[in-house]
Amino acid sequence: MKRLLITECFKLFRQSKTYYAIASILIIEGIILISAYFEGTNIINLLLDNLRKTFYFNGTLLNGNLLQYLVLNTLWFHLPLIIMIVVSGMLTAEYKDKTVQTVLLQPVRKWQWILSKYIVAIGFTVVMVGLLFLTSYWLCRGFFGEGDLVVYLDGLSFFPAAEAATRIQWSFLAGTISMVFFAVSSLTLAVILKDVTKTWIVSALFLIVCNVLLKIDLGTDWLNQYALFKLNDTWQYFFQYEIPFRIILLNWIVSVFYIIIIAAVGIFIFHKRDIG
Amino acid sequence: MSKIFICCWLLLFSPDIFSQGVDEDLIKMRQRLDSVLSFQVNLQLETDISFINMPVKRALMRWEKGKTVQFTTKDFILLPKRGLDFSLRTLFEYPFVTLVRGVATQNGQIIKEMNVIPADRRADFSIATIWLNTSLRRVEAAEISTQKDGTYFLQMHYRLAKDIFPDRVAVKFEIEKIKIPLNFMGKGTQVDKEKLKVDGMKSGKIFLNMSDYLIRMIGS
Repeated sequence: MKRLLITECFKLFRQSKTYYAIASILIIEGIILISAYFEGTNIINLLLDNLRKTFYFNGTLLNGNLLQYLVLNTLWFHLPLIIMIVVSGMLTAEYKDKTVQTVLLQPVRKWQWILSKYIVAIGFTVVMVGLLFLTSYWLCRGFFGEGDLVVYLDGLSFFPAAEAATRIQWSFLAGTISMVFFAVSSLTLAVILKDVTKTWIVSALFLIVCNVLLKIDLGTDWLNQYALFKLNDTWQYFFQYEIPFRIILLNWIVSVFYIIIIAAVGIFIFHKRDIG
Repeated sequence: MSKIFICCWLLLFSPDIFSQGVDEDLIKMRQRLDSVLSFQVNLQLETDISFINMPVKRALMRWEKGKTVQFTTKDFILLPKRGLDFSLRTLFEYPFVTLVRGVATQNGQIIKEMNVIPADRRADFSIATIWLNTSLRRVEAAEISTQKDGTYFLQMHYRLAKDIFPDRVAVKFEIEKIKIPLNFMGKGTQVDKEKLKVDGMKSGKIFLNMSDYLIRMIGS
């Protein structure tokens, strides 16, 4: 199993598309950061417009914490898209190049081989989110400094700089679980569809549907809380003034459950299917 | 005939009816405040506004006669426009008249309720009501109706009888709640602010706690 994991890592980081993906994420991050800097002023003006009558403001809110929050807000669509392309490509490329048959002619168990792909996919996702966190942390604070964070979530909340940084770190952790969910889903789709283009299209569709359904009221609290696609905004809970840790923990447990189920389905289908 | 003469005499010479000047107790209070050359104080702000969550903020406030108030703080803070004017200088900036509404005794102190009415169009308030402690020559409470910024109610609390400035001020005001469908980088940022103000007026409070006053007065 260890060798399979090393081989999968080697293959992943050997292929040029992995580096294209990393470069894409960094370019998108840079563009978002520049846009966030200009839009950030408008957003602050909009948020604080009605307070100007009553208050004077002392200090600045257009700082690294706000920009990193805005980057977070925007990247949760772009990042999974790129992760899904790379991760699904880990299997569809093998089908396309027929290397899957070559590998499985060796004394390798099918379930172990596909499991190693799931584990490497999860590892790659964690590395990507970690890279995003570090680069956005460095860029936002390096250029715009630290300061209080203002967030509008059913009211205006102001967080001191240190607390804001901690909340952002936690929200990245929550975002990582969502990204892993999408990565695992795309690999399972690759198992089912095999074809590169079909998998990309269905993965993109899956992502869009999840994003659309995230905003739709499903009628019951239970569904609104625990439906597959409703868990992807758990990271936002860290910006509620009183963090609902119990809800977050439950969401994480349910998310991990979904991830395990989706991966298990993929492994089961792959294991049962003939390689041909 | 003599009654008519007395009535005319009273009407002509009663200062409270025809010559609305400035109340003497208010003048005494102003004289006391005018003796302050500068002060600095540690400020602690607590907000009580239904749609704003803000932790307790701290700042150092400095004031010098003839200069604007300066604040030093590491954090972002919201400073109420009216609550920090302990001496109510903005009320007395332009000519005004006062009208005494009543006198009451509270804890052995004489509290005079009076209206302050601006006599100059440049004043940014339309009317103010002041509750003046005539015994201690200081303001206990004030309600100010401004031209543009709504109505404010200030409640002062003093630690000692001799204190010229309060150690606690509660500022009550009205504020418009804004509702924003925040969708950053989307079309949500291009919104009509007027349409967004659907939640109407909400009342809010700010509590200011002052400590460690350093006051420099004439002759000190």
